[in-house]
Amino acid sequence: MRYCMVIDLDKCIGCQTCAVICKMHHAQPQGTWWNRVFTQGSDYHQSAVGSDGAYKIEYLPVSCQMCDNAPCERVCPTGATYKNEEGMILVDYNRCIGCRTCMAACPYGVRQFNWKDPAKEKEETGYAYGYPFDVKEKGKRLVYTQNRPAGVVEKCTFCVECMNEDGTYDTLPACIRACPGKARFFGDLDDPDSHVSHLIRTKQVFRLREDYGTEPKVYYISSNKSKNVDAGWADQSWENTTPNVIP
Amino acid sequence: MDEKLKLTRRKFLQATAAAGAVAAVGGIELTAQAAPDVQPQKGELKYVRTTCAPNCTGGCGQQACVYKGEIKDIIQASDYPDEEHNPRGCLKGISFSNLIYGPHRMKGPQIWRGEGNPSGIPEGYEDVSWDEALDYTGSELRRIIDTYGPESVAVVVQVAGTGHVCKGALIRLATLNHFSVLGGYEMNGDLPMSAPITFGVQSEELDTYCWPDAKYILIFGSNPLQTRIPDAHFLIEAKENGSKVICFDPCFTATASKADEWYSIRPSCDAAVANGFSRVIVEEGLYDADFVRTYTDLPILIRDDTHKRLLARDVEGLEVPADMPEYREAYVVYDERAGQYLTVDPEHLDLPLTTRLEGTVDVPLKNGRRVRCRPAFALMREMLSEYTPEAVEEMSDMPASEIERLAREIAMVKPLHIMYGASNYQWYHGDLKGRAMALLCALTGNYGHLGDGMSTYAGQYKLKYSSTGQWWSVPEEPDRKSAGFSFCYMLNGKTETMTCPYPEHGIKAWLIYCCNPFDQHNMSNILREQVESGQLELVVNFDFQNTTTSRYAHVNLPGVSWYEKKEMVSTPCHPYIQMMNPAIEPLYDCRHEVWIIRELADRINPGDKAKYYYGDMDPDDVVEEVIKLTFEKGNFELEGLTLEDLKKGPVKFRHANPGRKRIAFWEQIHEKVPFPPQSYPTPLAATAQFVKSGRMEFYKDEDTFIRLGECLPVHKPPFEETEYVLNPAARELYKFNYVTRNSIHRVHSTHSNNAMMRELQDDSPKVYLNPGDAAEKGIAAGDMVEVFNDRGKLLAEAVLDPGIRSMMCIFEEGWWSRYTHGTSYNTLLKMWINPIHEIYFVSQMWAPNTSWNECLVDYRKAGDL
Repeated sequence: MRYCMVIDLDKCIGCQTCAVICKMHHAQPQGTWWNRVFTQGSDYHQSAVGSDGAYKIEYLPVSCQMCDNAPCERVCPTGATYKNEEGMILVDYNRCIGCRTCMAACPYGVRQFNWKDPAKEKEETGYAYGYPFDVKEKGKRLVYTQNRPAGVVEKCTFCVECMNEDGTYDTLPACIRACPGKARFFGDLDDPDSHVSHLIRTKQVFRLREDYGTEPKVYYISSNKSKNVDAGWADQSWENTTPNVIP
Repeated sequence: MDEKLKLTRRKFLQATAAAGAVAAVGGIELTAQAAPDVQPQKGELKYVRTTCAPNCTGGCGQQACVYKGEIKDIIQASDYPDEEHNPRGCLKGISFSNLIYGPHRMKGPQIWRGEGNPSGIPEGYEDVSWDEALDYTGSELRRIIDTYGPESVAVVVQVAGTGHVCKGALIRLATLNHFSVLGGYEMNGDLPMSAPITFGVQSEELDTYCWPDAKYILIFGSNPLQTRIPDAHFLIEAKENGSKVICFDPCFTATASKADEWYSIRPSCDAAVANGFSRVIVEEGLYDADFVRTYTDLPILIRDDTHKRLLARDVEGLEVPADMPEYREAYVVYDERAGQYLTVDPEHLDLPLTTRLEGTVDVPLKNGRRVRCRPAFALMREMLSEYTPEAVEEMSDMPASEIERLAREIAMVKPLHIMYGASNYQWYHGDLKGRAMALLCALTGNYGHLGDGMSTYAGQYKLKYSSTGQWWSVPEEPDRKSAGFSFCYMLNGKTETMTCPYPEHGIKAWLIYCCNPFDQHNMSNILREQVESGQLELVVNFDFQNTTTSRYAHVNLPGVSWYEKKEMVSTPCHPYIQMMNPAIEPLYDCRHEVWIIRELADRINPGDKAKYYYGDMDPDDVVEEVIKLTFEKGNFELEGLTLEDLKKGPVKFRHANPGRKRIAFWEQIHEKVPFPPQSYPTPLAATAQFVKSGRMEFYKDEDTFIRLGECLPVHKPPFEETEYVLNPAARELYKFNYVTRNSIHRVHSTHSNNAMMRELQDDSPKVYLNPGDAAEKGIAAGDMVEVFNDRGKLLAEAVLDPGIRSMMCIFEEGWWSRYTHGTSYNTLLKMWINPIHEIYFVSQMWAPNTSWNECLVDYRKAGDL
């Protein structure tokens, strides 16, 4: 069983709801976004690119690509980053030492460094949002906690808190459930009868930077995939920095 | 296990809906076992279904996850019986807890105790007890009532659909005390005047799940991909269904990017384009003559001498129908087959299909004279003849080469749906544009069928029901009633042409509920001056957020959010009536608005609380009682609905046509019921006078239409009757058209302070400029820009967007002025009152509108701040 995500760019309306629901559900502090939506080639979201009447606005939501051949996993010196039985790349926060080698290795720039002490963060924001319980995969590895300590690296987990111990999902990941464009799909890549397998077989799909050989498990549908899709988002700044507290 | 893995979206949504239904039996709280997202051992999580209801028209069912009395996350409830609506919601709604718990949450009642009058600064407000705040407000209101009369107290709520009971409670207070009620719909510029002028209705629209039923969609200056996020997928699905989407917008928008074709036309020149299409359709005989003869006023004879419609009462041998209501008038057509003149019975849409549409006739009158007349259709054809493709290109920049092809497609492909964006009709001549588009639909017979017609979607103003148990009125005491008044006059003062009664002393006190006019409305600076100068002696604010308005209020009486109370919600966008339910207790010392308002009622008139507000009953129980009463005494739309049904989940308003989706104007087109259908809650007589013929009216003959040359929907360019009259030098000084569009990150000024939304915008208000224009002014991306005219200024960061049309300057409205360096984007505007909008005054139905986008500015690089 290998979970994958399919995102239909023809349906994506660039509303960023996926980014916000992810942030809210997973207690991401200011400055941290596990999931982002880019307007390809533009510095400002939903601002056009082009000239002389030939314009386009095309979006690209990007979160962890859940690579089958994940560079972040290979470089992690402590084994904190690992691939589980369902093919998901996860971070064990108990083992992460915050060396950020994985961030350098990830060609997609999706890994986020937690600069904030969650207790202090709560004090500043007035309350603590996000799923309130710790999740230990197979009873051992701490793959989700609302109180992630300052100095760990974090990213999309395919909503591991929704996954049962036997690897099944009763409810789908938050971004799938919340997408107002109905553009996101989730399921088992190994199951030829799954909806995602059907989409991958029947639609024009691509993955980001396939030339790197990372074998991502996030697929994008686009009937008019622009040739520069990779360059379009790669130019854009990804790094999360020490956030300024917004009063 | 594998079965679970194969869980499709459809099955998943069914599962959640079922969970909702189960939960409702035992009250509003879902148990952890029944709810999604929960492992059995996490029994402390509680899930509550409520309805998100800022003034965005979403009306989206949300499910809050509550842990230890605090909301942890919010996600769409996805429990609508019509599955295509699931999930409904957006990035703002699911991050709403940032407002509930954020730093700008009001914590309790406050009274201004600073020096002089409030002036926008937070210092000077004193936290007081509810008793003190209410006693003060009550005695101040009593003083103002006694000194200036009760009509000098104005009330505004934004807006009915977002909370029928709480907002109704304040309108009830106005009714009980003879206050003036400002129509929020026209205050926001959202009343599409083309609708009352043409159809006699407040507005009409397709429920958004009908978009995929259209086969041809014309979008004139609407941007649903950004402004209707929960509904935008219906546009994509329309395309998947084979619809063609044509977008007309000066700028390349997110919606334009998904359209099949986009045309950058000049701002406010849409009537020229629509008339260009209509001309081709008429000239080439592609119009639906039977439809035109049956449902429109176009066969009616117009007198050459007076430009008025010929009255049946004046014509030899014709009589007025005996039982004709006072608000109607009987006109005349010429039937070619019978060779005689016929009285048009305004109560029946049953003219023969052989009425004359062309040529002239000399009609014998009862006074022995003859008068030359022409059918309105002939006058319309003559008017349209000026809109040749070349002329239309000259007027609007619409490429002449495309007009004939598009016109033929419009005539041939049905159903045709026209979406007319509020941003496009919030102009001085917005009514003319809408009338021209309405004509296009009428010529092609596109009303009354699934997927056709014309829609405006602006604001959650709409009352989709009527009830003799109307909570906001007091039917048992007909002497106690409010007066309608207009925000436009409150800011502008009287006009010579007004028909709206003006309070003798003007407005001296203002009760403001869910509204932030001190940022968010035209001429906000003038409004601020009215407080600072003491002209407005009392401003009472009921908001739960510390907005700019709360800093100009004399008293803040903070209510609660839609996660802290019960309430009833509806919207123009979908057919459901829904409840809000409390997920948490009211925070801090904030109170249910029903409680606040009835306590205030009792302080103005002791005894009113017990008599009119259910005494000391728990406010959430009052909400249930009012819903029960509304349903019990409800009209057709509410028939058969009960509170118990509503508590289980969204319930659907009834509609007259067969099939699961409501069709606008069904009764008119298929049952020949005359126009207009009733616009609730106004009595039919008040709106039927707008279309006295009982038909769609494209030729208007009230004196003002004749005087201004607007009997027919002609194109008139922007600024000629506004900016250039006020200041002829504006032609040279202020060449940029300033348009304030909606942002995906705010619902007007709600969410201006949402920390996550601000992060997504780099915490910086932005002005969108054409790169070529900006380069000429030496402005680079990221520069701070000052937008200015004679009236005000705005500071914002420059975005150079090639999709922005040259000579335009676009700002995303809604920012509180604390984020724009103290400037306010609405200080640049002016209240342009169109005399056409003053012919009648029926609040929220035919009234002067704010016209946000009729505004010229210049901009320059600002100094370092």
